[in-house]
Amino acid sequence: MLGHSLNLTFPNSMNKRILIVDDSFYMRTMLKNMLTDAGYEVVGEAANGAQAVEMAASTSPDLITLDVILPDNTGLDVLKSLRQIQPSAKVVMCSAVGQEVIVTEAIENGALAYIVKPFSEEKVLEIVGAALQNDASEQAA
Amino acid sequence: MKTRDQEYRELFMAEALEYYDSMSRHLSELERNPNAGPALNELFRLMHNLKANARAMGFADLGEVAHHLETLFGLIRDQERTFSGALIKVVFAGVDALGNMIRAVGADQALPDATALLDNLDRLVRGEEPILEEAEEAESEEESGKKMELSDLVYIQVKKLDNLLNLVGELVIDRDRIMTLAQEIGNPALLATAQHLFRISDDLQYSVMDARLVGVGVLLNKFPRVVRDVASAEDKEVELILSGQDVQIDRNILQIITDALLHLVRNAVSHGLETTAQRAAAGKPTVGHLTLSALTERDDVLIQVRDDGRGIDTEAVRRKAIERGLTTAAAALDEQAVWALLFEPGFSMASKVTDISGRGVGLDVVKMALDSLGGQLRVESQLGQGTTFTLVLPTSIAVKGALLVEVEERPYAIPLMHTDTVLALQPEQISVVGGMLVTHVQGQAVPLVPLQLLLHDEGDELLPFADKADMTGAQQVLVVNYNNRRLGLLVDRFIRQQNIVIKPLSKPLDTIDLFGGVTLLGSGQVCLVLDVPALTRLFLTKRP
Amino acid sequence: MAETEVPAPIAKTERAKPAELVQLIVFRLGDEDYGIRIEQVKEVTVTPDVARMPKTPPFIKGIANLRGDIIAILDLEERFRLRPAGRPIPERSYIIAVEAADYVLGLMVREVPRPFTMPLSQIEPAPEFVQDSSTRDKYLEGIAKLPEGGVIIVLDMRKLLTPSEVMRLPGKTASS
Repeated sequence: MLGHSLNLTFPNSMNKRILIVDDSFYMRTMLKNMLTDAGYEVVGEAANGAQAVEMAASTSPDLITLDVILPDNTGLDVLKSLRQIQPSAKVVMCSAVGQEVIVTEAIENGALAYIVKPFSEEKVLEIVGAALQNDASEQAA
Repeated sequence: MKTRDQEYRELFMAEALEYYDSMSRHLSELERNPNAGPALNELFRLMHNLKANARAMGFADLGEVAHHLETLFGLIRDQERTFSGALIKVVFAGVDALGNMIRAVGADQALPDATALLDNLDRLVRGEEPILEEAEEAESEEESGKKMELSDLVYIQVKKLDNLLNLVGELVIDRDRIMTLAQEIGNPALLATAQHLFRISDDLQYSVMDARLVGVGVLLNKFPRVVRDVASAEDKEVELILSGQDVQIDRNILQIITDALLHLVRNAVSHGLETTAQRAAAGKPTVGHLTLSALTERDDVLIQVRDDGRGIDTEAVRRKAIERGLTTAAAALDEQAVWALLFEPGFSMASKVTDISGRGVGLDVVKMALDSLGGQLRVESQLGQGTTFTLVLPTSIAVKGALLVEVEERPYAIPLMHTDTVLALQPEQISVVGGMLVTHVQGQAVPLVPLQLLLHDEGDELLPFADKADMTGAQQVLVVNYNNRRLGLLVDRFIRQQNIVIKPLSKPLDTIDLFGGVTLLGSGQVCLVLDVPALTRLFLTKRP
Repeated sequence: MAETEVPAPIAKTERAKPAELVQLIVFRLGDEDYGIRIEQVKEVTVTPDVARMPKTPPFIKGIANLRGDIIAILDLEERFRLRPAGRPIPERSYIIAVEAADYVLGLMVREVPRPFTMPLSQIEPAPEFVQDSSTRDKYLEGIAKLPEGGVIIVLDMRKLLTPSEVMRLPGKTASS
């Protein structure tokens, strides 16, 4: 049935915990499936900025995928809050084509990478994997 | 069978229709107030999401229209265009076109052509006047008489379904109570109403349980990746066969057995199946086969993990068990009983620890998950041929049969899943062996213990030596069975057999493992549900 | 607490303007009056059927069904050793359902609890020198002196109702 999810943990996941922030349920589901299939633990799904900040604080994820356009706030404002409350969490922006300006600004504000929608599973895993290995954000913080 | 693609499609449709409805709403607001900032932002966001989702689904044209509209709303928001004149007509036509396209996707039809619309949107973005055709306008007026549509899907939190199920469970208990009362009172009108209530609540219970069912596939479909990873880490070739993905089961049951199934699958690849070389040497096909299947058997769902590997070496397990001092009687145990040892806490056959088999975490995880559900585990194995583990699961966790017993004037419920038989024993049928009460059931010695003694046991001391001196008259014994171990519980009396709904104990009492939860009896009385596995374990550690 | 100290030198007449009020639910334990802030209280009800719960400390009277919630019932007189000898719990007693962080507990009291409103400034912070867990002092918010004489001991439920406090067992649980 829709909306039901199962949490699997896998042997090679290294137990990396990810928070997904996207206002589309469809996008979140797809991202979550891709990430959990690859062995990551999706610790939360936020549909707006307020939820994102709250869940980032309560779940302390290793990585956050953040949609640039969110209903109650722009993704950029959320990014800034997230960087404050969870400086160790790596942030990967998700955006569709046409949002390059915001993406550049996001990178300047501490996002590590961005995924362009529509995305392929390989691309998502590649970018997320690379971001998780990047320790620059911790040194900067 | 619902594949992931189908699931995505349904999600996409549900969300797209929702977006479409919101777009129409925001558009009418813009019509009233062309500078409504929040409405503009929302339209921009909705177009953006629809674009991204449509492209991910491969509906390029739909994505294209949404993309153009997104750009246009971006321009209006940044006050480079105004929401006025011909632009309004094109925007409305655009949103209508989106609606038609979404419906076409839903009906599995070809998407209507949008070239003219896209051209006009392009012109608006470039700052040119759109070319409006009379026919187009006429058509859009005709369109306005179209019926409204709501999504056929709602999302619901599992928590809400849980709550619904609990309420229905309580309703069923009260219904049974009312039924009994109505029969006692004997008023025909009351009886007819009670019977009607009986049928309705039955239907309601069935519907709620049905709403919680998911295809086993949502879990099974996660395994190809697991098997691939484990197999490559172990340097084995494994072909995974899935079947029965459409078998329906309660979502929470699936959640609870997730780890157990993961364990069994990893175990099958890492211990069950041989390496390519070993298989070749044994004259077997070099590629190992692993089958994950779900099937229904009466009211139960069976999930099977079958491999064509080396099978369980019963004697090796037996030796290991004796070595570990797990059981002194291992030498005398039959095959099934020896296999059951594999699921004891801390028992592992792995001679070397690999990344896959885990470190000290054994198959007891499987047993624990099944215990919590009142499920069962079946093992079949043939040396050299392979092993099949079968998880026997209830379809739904709503209502369980239980036997109510009384101890010290309080009722306790024991799930029927773990009850074997009920006996009334005369003192001469009970003997004292090594400080324990023992009786014989079908030729097998079964230890007996007063339930009250287990309930009030405290501290680290062993149970007192049994004494049957003060035993008079028939003793009421409930024989429970856990993991092929039988234990007779002496109780004050049997109350009745009844369907119960188990509520978990809330904090801070949830740390007491002797109780699986509580249930409310028809009278509103609170009744503790005993956890037979925990009782058995307590008895084993405390027996004199 | 700092707020209550600052205005100390100011004459009482200065307080004519609205002082911060606090609403308490007051009940008797032994021969003393105790209070809980009303926002920590969910409801007050006549004690329903209480099922004894093996494997719990003696001051947990058992569990009861409160509108579908199964809650633990605590006897604070026993917990704080306030019950005078030979005074049993009456046939009809009352339950104050209080909300802990994420669960509800019932406190069993012998008389109907009553609401009571007073200025916050009347509550004096509790002395913090007693740390013996068997006494109630660890769980005090403060002591309120009533103008007409007498005191109300104000309990801080959040300190009292942590799982480890509630399950403070005399022996050990059976689980290994």
